[in-house]
Amino acid sequence: MSRSEERRQAREGGSDMKKLYITLAVVAVVGIGAVSYSIGSGSGGAVSAPIAVEGLDDMNRLVELAQGMTKGDPNATVTIIEFGDFQCPACQQFATAVKPQVELALIESGKAKFVYYDWPIIEAHPNAFLAARAARCAGDQQKYWEYHDNLFRNQARWATSTDAVGMFTDYAATLGLDEGAFESCLGSDRHADVVTANMELGLQLGVRGTPTIIVEQGGVPRNILNWDFESLRTYVEELLAPNTGA
Amino acid sequence: MTEVDEVVPGAPLNRMLVSVLSLIGFFVALYLWAHNAGLTGPIICGVGDCATVQSSEYARIGGVPVSAIGVAGYVALFVLSMMGLQPGRRSSRAIAALLLSGSTFGVAFSAYLTYLEAAVIQAWCQYCVASAIIITLIFFATLPEIPRLRSPEGAA
Repeated sequence: MSRSEERRQAREGGSDMKKLYITLAVVAVVGIGAVSYSIGSGSGGAVSAPIAVEGLDDMNRLVELAQGMTKGDPNATVTIIEFGDFQCPACQQFATAVKPQVELALIESGKAKFVYYDWPIIEAHPNAFLAARAARCAGDQQKYWEYHDNLFRNQARWATSTDAVGMFTDYAATLGLDEGAFESCLGSDRHADVVTANMELGLQLGVRGTPTIIVEQGGVPRNILNWDFESLRTYVEELLAPNTGA
Repeated sequence: MTEVDEVVPGAPLNRMLVSVLSLIGFFVALYLWAHNAGLTGPIICGVGDCATVQSSEYARIGGVPVSAIGVAGYVALFVLSMMGLQPGRRSSRAIAALLLSGSTFGVAFSAYLTYLEAAVIQAWCQYCVASAIIITLIFFATLPEIPRLRSPEGAA
């Protein structure tokens, strides 16, 4: 190879490099644009408000889409239903002062089962929808009720936090959940459809505030306005009395 | 006016290809990483199920998101290929060896992840599949490095 040929090759190499740099620049601009667009459009990633769910206006479909979380014997004839909001102080009252007694006396004995439906009042409680999703993300790892109770116990701490995602992730770690899996669940739109459907179901059933406690047996629901433990126990036992007495 | 007298080989085309592909791979992995860190909204998935893959226990290795490993790998391949394109290093055996071993490791790791998606998680994430295709192309683009391993260092 002669010297002049080598020079020519080197020069050609130079123009190749120029083309390469242009190609790289184009790739970089497109890549930066695409990634920053997706980050910008994410509003923090974690979905913290109801989403559009198809079929909510169809009652049959809504009943399928809405899913409560059940505790206790699924075959118990009496169901104590709560429509609750993790950020609502009255729900905290119910969860910390009433529910433990209900569990001891009625759920663990198999007299009734407890079903919790999310009903976040998003207008007043900015972190409530996210909290409902967080509990369900914990539920993916079989720790729904531990997480549920933990959210209510710590309500005052996270209620007005601007870093609810971070705090919820810390709670997951405290409960020994797989933090990575929890984080990517919370950071997505997972369970937003179910929470949205639960809110709609509540509306359809006439829920207007939280906690709404409904005791149901044989398809007959009754709204319990005084949800202290004694009233609940009395009512549940009244419902069961004909069965046991006969 | 005197031009450079030393012999400069032309820019190796295969390294150019590696640099472009690794930059594309970098952005794909970066997007997945941002999603994994909760920085983006629900992943834009036309097909497949990225949410399932990304929230599976296999999305992290020892606490490190797989996508972050991908970002680091593509950065390394990009830097190596760019270094290997500089006139003084075009026949460097060290760069040839690093490019080859890097792409081989990358393609093997990616094959393992694709196996997980297919056999264990049973869900497909199109961005992970895109990355697998890119690293496979990079692997083939590094094969011309093999003869450079044998040629004497610094020679034309």
